[in-house]
Amino acid sequence: MLGALLYLRLTSLRNLIAYRVRRLRQPRYLFGAVVGGAYLYFFLLRSLRTTGTSGIAASRMGEAAVAMICVFMCAAALLRIAWAWISPPATPGLQFSEAEIAFLFPAPLARKTLIHFRLLSTQLAILLTATIMAVAFNRFAFTGGSRMTRAAGIWFILSTFALHVSGTNLAVARLKERGARYGLWRAGAVAAIVLYAAAVVWSAAAFANLGSSADLPDSGSLAGLVPGLLASSPLRWLILPFRIVLAPYFAADLGGFALAMVPALGVLALHYYWVSSTEYRFEEGSIVLAEQRAAIKAAALRGEAPSVGAFRRRAQPGPFPLSPTGPPEIAFLWKNLLSMRSSLLSRRTVVVALVATVWLSLMLRPFLSRAAGPGGIDSFWPVVVVFCAIGACYTLLLGPQIARQDLRSDLPNADILKTFPIESWRLALGEILAPAAILSLVLWFLIIVSSLTLDSGGQIEWLTPAVRLAAALCLGAAAPVVCVVQLIVPNMIMVLLPGWFQATRSRSGGIEVFGQRFIVGIAQLLIALLVTAPGALAAALIIFSFRLSIGVVPAIVLAALAVLPILAGEAAVGLWFIGERFERFDPSTEIK
Amino acid sequence: MIEVEALSKRYGNFTAVGNLSFSVRPGEVLGLVGPNGAGKTSTLRCISGIIPMNAGSVRIAGHDLATEPVPAKRELAFFPDEPRLFDYLTVRQHLAFVARIYGVKGHEAIAEPLLAELELADKADVLPVELSRGMRQKLVIACGLLHSPKVMFFDEPLTGLDPLGIRRMKDSIVRRAREGAAVVLSSHLLHLLEEVCTHVLILKKGERVAGGTLAEVAAQFSNGEANVSLEEIFIRATGGSES
Repeated sequence: MLGALLYLRLTSLRNLIAYRVRRLRQPRYLFGAVVGGAYLYFFLLRSLRTTGTSGIAASRMGEAAVAMICVFMCAAALLRIAWAWISPPATPGLQFSEAEIAFLFPAPLARKTLIHFRLLSTQLAILLTATIMAVAFNRFAFTGGSRMTRAAGIWFILSTFALHVSGTNLAVARLKERGARYGLWRAGAVAAIVLYAAAVVWSAAAFANLGSSADLPDSGSLAGLVPGLLASSPLRWLILPFRIVLAPYFAADLGGFALAMVPALGVLALHYYWVSSTEYRFEEGSIVLAEQRAAIKAAALRGEAPSVGAFRRRAQPGPFPLSPTGPPEIAFLWKNLLSMRSSLLSRRTVVVALVATVWLSLMLRPFLSRAAGPGGIDSFWPVVVVFCAIGACYTLLLGPQIARQDLRSDLPNADILKTFPIESWRLALGEILAPAAILSLVLWFLIIVSSLTLDSGGQIEWLTPAVRLAAALCLGAAAPVVCVVQLIVPNMIMVLLPGWFQATRSRSGGIEVFGQRFIVGIAQLLIALLVTAPGALAAALIIFSFRLSIGVVPAIVLAALAVLPILAGEAAVGLWFIGERFERFDPSTEIK
Repeated sequence: MIEVEALSKRYGNFTAVGNLSFSVRPGEVLGLVGPNGAGKTSTLRCISGIIPMNAGSVRIAGHDLATEPVPAKRELAFFPDEPRLFDYLTVRQHLAFVARIYGVKGHEAIAEPLLAELELADKADVLPVELSRGMRQKLVIACGLLHSPKVMFFDEPLTGLDPLGIRRMKDSIVRRAREGAAVVLSSHLLHLLEEVCTHVLILKKGERVAGGTLAEVAAQFSNGEANVSLEEIFIRATGGSES
């Protein structure tokens, strides 16, 4: 049976390579491959030449960094394991593709054979990931060992972890299938994990208290504390299973790696046995998983965010009552808001984002305030302003890539859209309205927060409440127009180079598609700068020139009045162009 | 050849198939009909071993599907409504892979006439991405027929086929049944079932509403009328609605 499975994998790989090489005959793929290759060379492969870090490895800071990475990995692994028990998938299964299910599930193969097939298939993906990670994280060479041992170490970690998560999911599912005392088992497992985590925290805290009492050398420094922490009892015994799995990655040399590998292999073998001997009937869960993956792939090809297809869509009430008469653009806004609500803006997303923001603020607030010291400036509010500015930049530059419920997601419906009795520029405007509205709301929120928190200490004299208000209102007025302009850029790229655009939607396109995405991203950035920079420059010039003669507030208003028509004009020209191009657009011939 | 006894399939609290029993002998073609959500696909998936059943037993060519899944599956072929293929295996490589799975010796000698019959011979070395939906469907059929199964399950087999393909598919099903295969066919195309099936099983909400030869089922719902079509029988048997 192994022969058949190897045949499938190796033949698929050979054909995949041949297919991609053949595809390079098309200029867009060739160009993408050149750019993608150059990027990988300059940003990843070139770093392979720099390995001389043994000096750092020997240093205390290197040890501390290793220990910190170790702590982080242990904590992340523990959290993931706990999550598998706290929130197990509704229908857990092993990850097969739809084709594998169609061909292998009705085939004369024992359930165990299917499990072995799946586990071996996973190994190929993990091997590739481990190699890429070893190259990408070459800068972490101070952790010791060679590239080969680090790659093998990553393989150990990923393999064991993947097996453990699969095993846990299947074990939970098996308990659920048997029904009796399922809740009790889960509660017991979660309680055991919580107790374990508490024991780890307690032993770490005990060591830290010892450190602060100056009984240890270097007790005040991180470099002195962290490595000692991991070597202290009873913590070192508590985290022994994690240390065994992590040890090959952190081995300093080949001998150390060989020694570390023995117990790590043992743990891996135990996990393999655990998963492969499962009695859970995983078929249904696997079919659900395969359908979800296919939905994600299809969603990506439709131009939706990659995670959209991950959960089931539910019928939603309209965002507002849609009147049967009125501007047709509003119908597109209504439709696209509806699809956004059922995907990007789920209630869970909003709640998680809000909770994360509040939690982060509460965590940072005392830390940053204390950093100011007595009489110093409270650095919390400046940090908030900086985050708002960064958030605004991300909203403008990356927002259009995330909020894609416009012409890009409606590309498969181009034939129907073209039959609508509506001018093409109005269609383009209507399609763009929904993402523009969402991005504008985000920008308005950031503008309000910034205007309230900027210079909270009152250090800037001219920043009076009137100036704040005027600046906030003018920026708020400009925000929707700027968002429309930003959204016009990717939509314009889509109608101008539909082949390029469609190719970048593939989720597994290789280096050539990576290069294409890179080119499209850079093009978008350049065009966005080209379109918005003149307006921003003009506004700055007007404010600077007139602030003394007519005052800051009138200068801001004057700048807004001068710049807004320019931006609106650019938006109008852009929409007209997209509409005209869309009118002549033939999806059947232009998207290949 | 196919013996299904008290088959039940539940998804959580929802019963997709409940206490279903039927048998199909060699040479018979059983048409599985019912409104949407009647449990046709769940039944086919259970009796072909794709998903486990919750209760009941299925015997394929004398083998219990639950206790002897491998010998049972060796005798069957399942043809899904949607062709799902490996992206990077050519037509010929798909057949080679399936031959290896089922242990078909000298599969090339079987594959070539199959490909010719299904008009795939000139596409033997292309990837699925270059095939139309109908051709992909034909490839799935070729893969299923390669090991000469004694039991065949078709889930909406004519979806995506052109008129000539439909004709050939019908002929192929009838011919294989005459050669001794037991066939279960799920379809909404009642005229197809009338042409191809020897028996019919009408399901509603996962339960058997009627079953038997076409004549028997017709007699059950004809109310004394002559020449009642299967469509009319279906409407009368299911009450003309899904619920």
